[in-house]
Amino acid sequence: MHAVFRPPVNWRHRRFRYRLVVWRCLNCGAVHHYATSICRRCRSNRVAEDKLPDRARLITYTVVKNPPVAFEKQAPYIVGLVEFEDGTRLVAGITDCDPEELKPGIELEKVVRKIAEDGESGLIVYGYKFRPVITRSH
Amino acid sequence: MGAIGDELPRLSGVAVHGYGAYIPMFRVKASEIARVWGVPDSELPVLEKSVNSLDEDTVTIAAEAASYAIARAGIEPDRIGAVYVGSESHPYAVKPTGTIVADVLGINSRHLSADLEFACKAGTEAVELVSGLVASGMIEYGLAIGADTAQGRPRDALEYTAAAGGVALLIGKSGDGAIADLEYAASYVTDTPDFWRRSHERYPMHGSRFTGAPAYFHHIISAAKMVLEDGYSLDEFDYVVFHQPNTKFPYAAAKMLGIPAKKVEPGVVCNLIGNTYAASSMMGLAKVLDQSKPGERILMVSYGSGAGSDAFVFRVREGILDKRGKAPLVSELIERKRHIDYALYLKARGKIRE
Repeated sequence: MHAVFRPPVNWRHRRFRYRLVVWRCLNCGAVHHYATSICRRCRSNRVAEDKLPDRARLITYTVVKNPPVAFEKQAPYIVGLVEFEDGTRLVAGITDCDPEELKPGIELEKVVRKIAEDGESGLIVYGYKFRPVITRSH
Repeated sequence: MGAIGDELPRLSGVAVHGYGAYIPMFRVKASEIARVWGVPDSELPVLEKSVNSLDEDTVTIAAEAASYAIARAGIEPDRIGAVYVGSESHPYAVKPTGTIVADVLGINSRHLSADLEFACKAGTEAVELVSGLVASGMIEYGLAIGADTAQGRPRDALEYTAAAGGVALLIGKSGDGAIADLEYAASYVTDTPDFWRRSHERYPMHGSRFTGAPAYFHHIISAAKMVLEDGYSLDEFDYVVFHQPNTKFPYAAAKMLGIPAKKVEPGVVCNLIGNTYAASSMMGLAKVLDQSKPGERILMVSYGSGAGSDAFVFRVREGILDKRGKAPLVSELIERKRHIDYALYLKARGKIRE
């Protein structure tokens, strides 16, 4: 059986994908989405665990109509570039909206959704996506 | 509480500290389903039902509802010692839903976790188990979650109502900041084959009219009568929430028990979102908590096919006033909606096969 998603890799990245836990270089500011003791950009060993906020602003987006393997079921879907308050940028799935509703600068909130499925029998991969903030009327 | 004797199966010192509901935004109108199958839309069981989107399942719905419960409680996730998720639509046959939900929420590994199953009362089973763990002192806080993306066979009566949604209760010791004390819990269970799904089958089977009198009504009414036999009177309840597989059943059960419809109406959501299965009665409770005042009492009775009912009595506390606004209300989630046609419904529910 060929697995698109290898369980160890999926497991290793889960804290980032579920909760946006990152490892930030205190020297150059580079953000890593996996546990590391050395910054991959500047080789500094001053790397600390951090968490990105649950809110971000949309920079830009595109609509994927020809998805790669394991992402077919959700097509067409939106992939966006979002920016957090501290300037960190992240590519993320955008959900619960149509492309026409999206404008650069709108506020988005993090949710955890199904990202992909490895066929009928393989792993289901969950992770962050962003959606327009739920309107509170009360 | 003077009417209640010490010997009764009431809980002591257990309270809801947070509650959270989540409803996916897609809706399909019952009339749209009826149009496809040529059924007259004069007597449909609901107006419309919620449908999970392509990237939502019981894990994501449970996690979002639970995140709102934690937000309302205002506690650190590491204090949660149990995560129980009740559902009839766990994404994996083998691989717990609860472990994924706990990791998403940032709960540390030192906690109990189990997936529960008992048709539409799987969520309230979780409430009973977590309450027992809190009452015994084994855990400080626990999450009891009911969540489903319910399956309805195309053209079956259940297709009009089988919906998606989830509700989480964060339960801990009574005390400052509690939203509602849990005063009483008891269950009534029999072997009644009104609805079932065999292993590896995609859709459930049911006994049509057999799901009514010997199933839903017998268990709901028997469980409610246990509450009354154990010392409560109907006058003590400001709100009554029953499992709501359709809009008629909770009102009919209330009528049989002599409960006025006005006590049932605040918790009825089925007409606008359908039957959210393991979340159904808990969704009614969440909607009632959204509007209740300190001191008011709520009777909730779930129903799960196969069959059984869990009965609970909640007494609303002062904490509701500060905590209610910290997460979306059920009414706000109901209002957040987008209608889809039957074709998109089939796609969203994975009914299109290559």
